[in-house]
Parts: sequence; C-alpha cells; structure tokens
Amino acid sequence: MKELILQVLRDLRTYALSKNVEATFFYHEEESCLMRFANSAISLNTNEHLIRLEITAFEGRKRASYEMITDLNKLDEMKQGVDIAAEMVKHVQPLNYQPTVPVYWETFIDESVFDAALAGIASEERLEYFNQAVAGLETDEIKLSGIFSSGVSTTAQINTRSEHLQYFKSSDAQISIVLAHISLKWEVIAEQSAQKKTDLNPLGVRRDLTFLLERYRHDTPQQLPLGRYNIVFGSAAIGDLLNMMNYIGFSGGSMKRGFSFIAGDQVGQKVFSDKFNLTDDPTRLETFPFQRDHMGISRKLFPIFENGIFNAFTWLQDDADEFGASPTGHTVMHKSLVLGGGDKEVATLEELVNLPRENDLLYIPFLHYMNIVNPSKGLITASSRFGALLLKKDGSVAVPYNVRITQSLLDIFGDRLAWLSRPQAVNNTSMSYGARNPTAIVVPAFIQVNDLEISHSNSTY
Amino acid sequence: MRKKLQKQIDRLMVAGATSVDARWYPVEETSQLLMWNGNLKNASSSRESGIGVRVLYKGAWGFSASSDIGNLKALFDKALDNARVAAERVTFPVRLAGKVPIRASFISPNRIDPFTVPLAEKIAFMKELDVQLNQTGVTQRICELIFIRKQIVYLDSEESEIEKNIVEVFPTIQVMGVDAQGESHSRKFSPSLAGATRGWETLDPQLFSENGARIVREMNEVLVADVCPKDERSVILLPGIMYLQTHETIGHALELDRILGYELAYAGGSFVKLSDFGELRYGSSKLTARANATLPNSPGSFGYDDDGVPAQDNVLIDKGLLVGAITGRQMVEEANDRIGKTIFNGSSGANRATALYRVPIERMTNINIDPGSDGSLAEIVKNTEKGIILDGDKSWSIGSNREQFHFATDIGWLVKDGKVTGVVKNSTYKGETVKFYNSLSAVGDTSTWEVRSVDNCGKGQPNQIMQLGHGVPVCRFDNVTIGE
Repeated sequence: MKELILQVLRDLRTYALSKNVEATFFYHEEESCLMRFANSAISLNTNEHLIRLEITAFEGRKRASYEMITDLNKLDEMKQGVDIAAEMVKHVQPLNYQPTVPVYWETFIDESVFDAALAGIASEERLEYFNQAVAGLETDEIKLSGIFSSGVSTTAQINTRSEHLQYFKSSDAQISIVLAHISLKWEVIAEQSAQKKTDLNPLGVRRDLTFLLERYRHDTPQQLPLGRYNIVFGSAAIGDLLNMMNYIGFSGGSMKRGFSFIAGDQVGQKVFSDKFNLTDDPTRLETFPFQRDHMGISRKLFPIFENGIFNAFTWLQDDADEFGASPTGHTVMHKSLVLGGGDKEVATLEELVNLPRENDLLYIPFLHYMNIVNPSKGLITASSRFGALLLKKDGSVAVPYNVRITQSLLDIFGDRLAWLSRPQAVNNTSMSYGARNPTAIVVPAFIQVNDLEISHSNSTY
Repeated sequence: MRKKLQKQIDRLMVAGATSVDARWYPVEETSQLLMWNGNLKNASSSRESGIGVRVLYKGAWGFSASSDIGNLKALFDKALDNARVAAERVTFPVRLAGKVPIRASFISPNRIDPFTVPLAEKIAFMKELDVQLNQTGVTQRICELIFIRKQIVYLDSEESEIEKNIVEVFPTIQVMGVDAQGESHSRKFSPSLAGATRGWETLDPQLFSENGARIVREMNEVLVADVCPKDERSVILLPGIMYLQTHETIGHALELDRILGYELAYAGGSFVKLSDFGELRYGSSKLTARANATLPNSPGSFGYDDDGVPAQDNVLIDKGLLVGAITGRQMVEEANDRIGKTIFNGSSGANRATALYRVPIERMTNINIDPGSDGSLAEIVKNTEKGIILDGDKSWSIGSNREQFHFATDIGWLVKDGKVTGVVKNSTYKGETVKFYNSLSAVGDTSTWEVRSVDNCGKGQPNQIMQLGHGVPVCRFDNVTIGE
C-alpha cells in the first residue's frame, strides 16, 4: 500500500509539472474504529476508511487549495483536483508576502510510531478491554460510558519543487472509561493512551476507577465554600491547560495577532515558575510525533520554557513568512509537548491521597469546557469534573460538588506552582474533529498550585 | 446507485437486521475564504462523496462508512459485523419510534447558488469590506465566507427514499484592537437570517458596510472604556449573545440522548431528569422556547432528518414549564420505557449526521425563544433600574450538566435608571441555569427577534460539527453576577 500511495503522489507531481502548476500534495488516510459505550451498553460501533488529498497550488504570491475525499484508484479524479486548484489560484489575490513552497532534500519514511498489532485490534478485543476494566464495578445505578477509539493514520507529502517524498504512518488508541451514577449524576473516569498494543492496561484503568468509586459511593458530598484553595491538577487537566497555552501563549502567529499573553519582547525573560520546563520533543513516541514538518524541516528537541524562562515562540511556516520570522519546524498537525517532571514522588491517585499535608487540597482531575475569557491576560475559565476530591489536612477525604475556576495561566504556572510530580503520564488529547490526528501530551502525573480562587461552587452534582 | 443501495439494504434485512439505512452523498462541497488584514490567507475548496450505512441488529447499532463505493457489499457487511459485536453488550435493546415511509425531496431556499458565483467576485466582496474595516484603532480585520452545498440521498428498510439538496452561507466580519493596557478586544458581525432565502443574495454589501462601520465604532469605544464592574444587576442580552445562552443552556440541556446519559463520556450530561417533563419550572412565565425546524431560512431547517422523519415545530418550554425535548426515533422509546409512561409522542425529527462518515445523533434544529410583550430594546432599557446590556460571544463555558455557566461578551453598556450611561470592557456574567431563566423579567417583541446561525456546534464521538439556528429576542434577567 505504501508504494501505491507514493506512486500516486509521484504521478500527481508529474501531472502538475506537465501542466506547469506549482503545487504541494498532502495525502491523509485513516482507518478509524470507535466503540462507544453508554448506559452500560455499546451504543455505537463504527468503522471509517477515508482518504483525503489536499492540493495547494501556488502562482507567485497567490495560493489556493482544493481538498477531496477520494480513492487511490481514482487517479483521474485526483488530476482533476490539480486542475481545479490551478484554476482557483488564477483568480485569488496575491498575499503581501511570499509564501514558501517546500523543498524536500531527501525522501523521509517514518513508520516508527506504527504498531501492526494495535492497528489490527478487533472489535471483540476492544470489548474485552472494557469488560476487564469495569469487571464488578457496574451496578443498577452505576453505569458504564466511554470510548475505545483506535486507528491508523497515514500521511504523505510531495511537491513540484523536488522529487522527494515524506511518509508517516502511526497507530493509536484513546480509551476513556466513565462510571456514572444515573440518578445522583456524578461521574468518575479513567483514561489511557496507547501507541502500541502492549501499552493497553485495562487493569490499571480498573485500579483507578475502583479507588474513585469507593470515595464517591461512600463519602458524603459537600458544597465547597467560595474562596482560595490549594489545588492539585491531574494529568488530563494539565494537558488541557497546556493545550490552551499552545494556542494563546507561545504561538508566534497568535502573538503577532494580539491573541497571546506573552509579548514578543518576553523571549529570554522569566514568565513562569522556575519549576516549569516545557519542550516540544519529537523523540517521544507516546506523542505520535512527526520527525519532519510539512516543510521538510528536521524536528529536534525544542525548549519552549526552561526554568520558567521563555525560550522561543513556535512558528508555522505561513506565519513566519507573513511576519518575517524564522520557521521553527512547527508546521505539523500537532506538536509533541512534554512538561518536565518535578521532584515529588507521586504517581497514582492513591499515593496522592496518602501524602501527608498541612493544608486542605482540592484535587481536580479534569477541566470541563475550558474557554478563553481574556487572551491578553491568559485568563481562562472551566469547571471541575470527573472525580474531584477534597483532601483534608487531617488525612480524611471528601467528595466536593463541581466548582468553577476563572484564572490566568500566568498564575497557574507562575510562582503559585508548588510542585510537580516526578512521574509523568501520557495524556491523549486527540480530537475526533475532521481527519484523524492522534495527539498526546506528556505531563507530570500531578501538579499542585496554591492559592487559586473558586468562583462558583455547585450545590448538587 | 439507488437500486444498488436498496438491494444491499434488503440483503441485510434478510440476514437478520431489524433496520438498515444508507446515506449516499453524491457530493458535498465546502468553500472557505479567509481574508486577514487584506491577505487572502485561505482560499480553499473541498469535495466529499461516499456512503454511510447504519444497521440495527438484535437491538444494537453498527455503522460503517467509506468514500470507496466500489464494494458496497463489503461496506454493508462491515456495518452488520459492527452491530453483531455491539449486540454482545446491550442493556436496553434499541427500538425505533414509528414513522410513515416518505418518498420526498427537500431543496433549501436559495436565489443564487454561491457555488455559481465566480471566485473573483467573492474576493472582491471581501476586499471591499476589508478596505472599509481598515480604520483608526483597528489592528486586525478579518473577513470570512464559508459556503456549503450538499446532496444527500437517504434510503431505508422502511421504504423511505429522500433526497436533500442544501446550500448554506456563513459570513463573518471581525475587527480587533489593543487598548492602552495592551489588551486585545474585538467586535464581530454575522448577519441575522432575515430573508426568505439563504444563498449568495444574503451578502448584501450595504448591510455589511453599515455593520462594519458599527463594529469599528463600538470596538473603539471598548478600547477606551472602563472595566466592567463586579456586582449584581440586571443583564439585557442582545441576540448576539442571547443566541449562545439559548444554545448552551436550553438547546444542549434538552437533547434527549444527553438527558439519557449518552454523552456522559465526552461533553457531559444534563441536569434535566425525565421526571422534570411537565413538572420543572425551567424559567419564568415569560419564557417559551421551541425547536422549530420549519423556519424557511436557517441551517436548522433541513426538510427531513437522518432518520427520515419530517422537520417539525415543537414547544420545549411553555410559559416557563418544561414540556419537550430534542429527539430522534431511538431515544423517545427508551425514555418512555425508563419512566414507565408516555412523555414523548414520537420523534421530533432532530436526528442528524454532519457527514457521510458520521452516525446521526440528536442535534438542535432552530432552538428559538418566542418574542414577548415587553416592547423594543429601548423600552426594556427604559424600564431597567440598574443593568448592563451585553452583546457578542467572546467566551462561553458551561458546567458538565449544563447547570451553571460563565460567558464573556465583546461589549457591555451600563444602564442606570432607564438610561445607557456608558460602555465597559471585559464584560462577563455567570449564573445557574434554572435560577437564571426564572429571573427572566422582560422579553422583547418581534422588533428585537433575530435568527442567528451557528456553523460550528460540536457534539458526539466521533465528533460532529453541525449547522443550526436560533431565533431569539432581547431578554432581560435580574440579579445576575457580572464582572468575574
């Protein structure tokens, strides 16, 4: 199949050259499977096999794109796509900057993120994973929800500037298991990300669910008083916060357009706590990395924050072209963000609960429906969800109703950052919008941030 | 192709399926143009075609989709195989509410198909707007046009055959500026769906020009405004934010699959319980909300849903009392069974899929608030002692059961003793859904009622982006916390 894909792209390149069309070709193929559970049943079991081809035509400073869902045996249809893009580009207006057309200096094939065993996992195996993960945990009142999303993503690129190609193939699985009380409306969750089949660990998921269920089934829930709390965020919440920072923090294009809380002159300055070390690390296979970006730039370890000091903005090629910046190898479907661990030896929720503590701690594993209130200040708002706990200083544990925080990322990752756990966790942040794009962030299992304000506190679940 | 699809449907029924449907998309086209500070950053088109097959077997769904229509047998068999595996874990065998077989077609009302308009003409339209927006105080100016055209052929095992041809136009203009403190602020405009059609003709240059001048003026007022106070007062929501309030805390809260727990693993549930229907005072007596998929001009009007059920106009909240939900065929049966009585009399025709490769789920149609009898905006302001007028959807966040929310808006105008006293920036408000709607104290008349389109409503796993609408008037709510 790989050879067929590459040959089709070569044929399209040849066709474009024969028509004097300057073009890039981006091929995306997905084999996606999703088993969805609700109310302790399989509510949906799907398969989608889709091939997308994006053709971008260039004419001087003009650029236009045409994307189609197609098949590898429809070469003539794809050639028509070249003609359509070529016709479109005649009629668009020039940019006020010169867009870069990539040149690949070598053919680059990367299948290191692909695991045939995970790619071939059957529906029956997905069901068995769930059965193991929730064995004995469901009741008449506590019902199972969740997803087992798995698939194979293949991308390939070629352009008319060079005969070389880029080809990437990955396998992935994203598992999310929720146990919800159908009348009280509380929910607990455990998640897993997998790049290879041997990563799958239903018993580990079951351990986390069992621990949370014990608390939620037996502890008396309470409405938290409004005020300031020391908060421990779990890996999913940390991942969501970093994803938001990816958008309104260190993106060069966002900064130039006034949609960032980090200014252009803050490179080299201290922005966050000296405990904060964030990199883009394409060597971490758990993040489904790209070793080359779309422009053919070799991607290496890229420090974004070192000891809280802001090292560099990341630039998409098009933003770099527009604003006169140097591209940084970040014209990719996703980065490979890694937040460095700290010195706290805590890997599991059980270990966190058993830590000695001098003050109450509010544990928030998930942040629901985060949005940007004020990008210039890094101000975000979100609600807690899925198994928050109040860890009291006397060692006891209470179950809080959900709360809302409206807080700046500058506060969360600034001097109020008390500690980060040394053990890290892989947080799968894949969205299933549009084309399959497996994405994960490596983060400490937990971080503690002191003195954050709770601005709303629910009186029920 | 239709005969081939019917043959496969019949074959799977013989193989033991209890319901089979196929959605064949001969073509779906999208065109997107984005001009940012005069640069045509994005000029793209896309084309999709293929088939999605849904099979019900022993009470469980299986789905399969492919762009490759060369092997229909394999595609249909895969959907059946998926259903067979799903049938190994069934708690409530899926039943479908009854419907009448329909052989019909639907064409969305358009005078000028935007796909027939030359690209150069579209770009010229945007360029003219960009020039008009290039004014003092404006640091970023954005014009975006999105056009969608799709043909969907639906066939099922109940002898329905429906063809839909739908065209949508989504235009937006936006300006941004930076205040003396270095903070960015923006103001945007998307036209309400005022006419009887929704084609290229809706892009009225005069309308965009007037509103372009307005948003530039208002954004410049925000740049020099005081910060929104933090206190409790009446909030007067203009349609530019009332539509989103309705969307998040009435629309999503009343999707029956969400109420029944089918979204718990993702975007959350609903505070609404089945026992609330006919009982819960969702809002004050001034609140009447409906799901009306029969509006002539809105992306929430589509003729027939993807269960093959005709579009309907159903009341959701009747003078404050919760009475209805947004449903497809499956959920009404399960809901009635769970509560042990008939609270829903069939599908409300709201089961839709966003693409050939996604399965239909409960989606909003046009979730509207009926206009009230409290007059114009000016009259509502005149009758407000201490308040703030809010507009523009800057930020929205809701609790996982839609029980509480926090919104930020692009602009606020303070009201004191019946008069507007000035503009404020960084305006926000928050509340608890039921308490908030029960504080509804004024609903504007038809002069304030506008239909707003939504082109990016996300729901479901795999995720689906849906287009829909909201017809809403100006509404005033009392004792609301602002400024947090």
